[in-house]
Amino acid sequence: MYQYDLIDKEFLADRSAEFRGQVARRLAGELTEDQFKPLRLMNGLYLQLHAYMLRVAIPYGSLNAAQARRLAEIARDYDKGYGHFTTRQNIQFNWIKLKDAPEILDKLAEVDLHAIQTSGNCIRNTTSDPYAGATAEEVDDPRVWAEVIRQWSTLHPEFSYLPRKFKIAITASAKDRTAAKVHDIGLLMRQGRDGQLGFEVIVGGGQGRTPYVGPTIKQFLPTDRLLSYLEAVLRVYNRHGRRDNIYKARIKILVAALGAEEFGRQVEQEWAKIDAARADLPAAEYARIRAAFAATPFETLPARSEAFELAKTKDSAFARFVRNNVKAHKQPGYAIVEVSLKAADQTPGDASAHQLEVVADLAERYGFNDLRVTHVQNLVLPHIKLDDLPTVFATLQAAGLATANIDLISDIIACPGLDYCALANARAIPIAQDIARQFADPDRAETIGELKIKISGCINACGHHHVAHIGILGVDKKGEEFYQLSLGGSGAEDAAIGKILGPALPADRVATAVDQLVGAYLNVRADGERFLDTYRRVGLEPFKEAVYAQAD
Amino acid sequence: MKAITANRLLDGDVVFWKAGQWVERFGDAQLFDETAEADLEAAVATGKGQPTVVVDVYPIDLTPSEGHWAPVSYRERIRALGPTNEPTHGKQAEGGDVVEALRHASGAARSTGRVDLIRRK
Repeated sequence: MYQYDLIDKEFLADRSAEFRGQVARRLAGELTEDQFKPLRLMNGLYLQLHAYMLRVAIPYGSLNAAQARRLAEIARDYDKGYGHFTTRQNIQFNWIKLKDAPEILDKLAEVDLHAIQTSGNCIRNTTSDPYAGATAEEVDDPRVWAEVIRQWSTLHPEFSYLPRKFKIAITASAKDRTAAKVHDIGLLMRQGRDGQLGFEVIVGGGQGRTPYVGPTIKQFLPTDRLLSYLEAVLRVYNRHGRRDNIYKARIKILVAALGAEEFGRQVEQEWAKIDAARADLPAAEYARIRAAFAATPFETLPARSEAFELAKTKDSAFARFVRNNVKAHKQPGYAIVEVSLKAADQTPGDASAHQLEVVADLAERYGFNDLRVTHVQNLVLPHIKLDDLPTVFATLQAAGLATANIDLISDIIACPGLDYCALANARAIPIAQDIARQFADPDRAETIGELKIKISGCINACGHHHVAHIGILGVDKKGEEFYQLSLGGSGAEDAAIGKILGPALPADRVATAVDQLVGAYLNVRADGERFLDTYRRVGLEPFKEAVYAQAD
Repeated sequence: MKAITANRLLDGDVVFWKAGQWVERFGDAQLFDETAEADLEAAVATGKGQPTVVVDVYPIDLTPSEGHWAPVSYRERIRALGPTNEPTHGKQAEGGDVVEALRHASGAARSTGRVDLIRRK
């Protein structure tokens, strides 16, 4: 993991002190709300329905035990004992008081955490693969490049006031766990024929009210030219992105208006003008950052663990957990463990202070002090020995963290919705809970297989509903909460925007409708087909029929 | 019937206007009927003149529910109660008649009820 140096630490301390001064001036009436609001947003502090909300960045979704414990402490001391992990690998605290915010920022800074650039029209936290450094699929460790981008983009003077917010995702595996194709920039790491590493650069993906799967504007960008190329993309966007209309200000609108080819051409033109020696990362700095992600000191172990095999045969709950939450590790004798934050009746993505401490302890004791956050609002222990898995499972189970449902129908993404969010039109959390209850039987959920449901409480799409196998969007229809269903989206390597199924449904019809969709799928699915595959083969009609024919 | 709401600057808590004070319980809010339009406007103006106390002052429409008054707007009922996924968090935690009446009220979602949500030029 990257360790902050003295400059980083001083910077965070200064920033926190600066915000303390700004809060004091606001409370004294020296700053108006209009003057203060952008300042607090630059520190991740929003005013929501019931209180202030603080969004803390978790750079590329990577945490150590001390950081997780500090988040737990903040949840306990300044919130109501829990935090909410978001679809951007960040954490939000829902019950923050303005007067406490500077103190919280101090406490975060002590463990190298902060809330900088978690809001505002700047480059936000880079999304990366939660399996980085653990999966055999990757051609390189994407965290190295995510950290390079973090350092480059933090308080970048040219890109702090963009037309609109800007989100970058980076993955080095063929299987995309970052939703790269629906980010402003998606970087897919590739190995060229000569063995050289580079990025396929996707620009102009996005969700919100105008969803796009981003087009590729460069097939192969050598890694050592990353920063100058990003600079060129951002510069073209900064110059031509629309500032007159907030709904048309994201880069996706510019790319769609110009066409990918023309946008790519303008970027190349701009890129040619940039002095690479100034803009690209110096080799020494690259080496320093890479060294921070030096290989994890794994033990040499047999690929098969007797303790693990025995536990699987003796404990069916453990066997189920292994089937769904345990993923292949690159190192023999190790596994990647997904920790679901989607237990029955849990708010998707919420973790209590106690739960955060439990996973922190597990990471420290069994997992090289490494913990990850996924954009699906779950946690990952990336390096667990197979021998230790039964113990880790038992500890997770005791803390309500062993729900064996990763990528199954109850592993639902939900934004905070109208229960917390000032922008929402409808609630998302109770709908997720209704659906999870409907599919509470774990055998049935496994029979249904991979099915990604994602719920947003408004068109801003924080709940990623556009890229869900079954997407659910809360709308306000004549003053009531209604929900519009869409099918066939995907945020993975086979990215697609879902198609609207039909007229919106009232809240109490949503779980039933999902059940009807699942019924239609099970009726016609071929061997080995996921819900998404079946949908792609048979189209919308059979599903439409299942939901609306029975509604009459 | 109308009431006036805001968020308290210091902690963001939802507050309601009551005769020159800001109170935390919706049940304690001052009610303004149609004959008190001028009083309502004066109170909103006073509230907006207290930028170091509250932010985002606005009137809300109310509707009868179980012998009490409840905000017409779904959003405003959630503000007056707390999040529905955590029934022990927020103002709803203390329970009572008014909280129950708010929980059982039905009516519009966020697009109506906040009187000045769509700002007129």
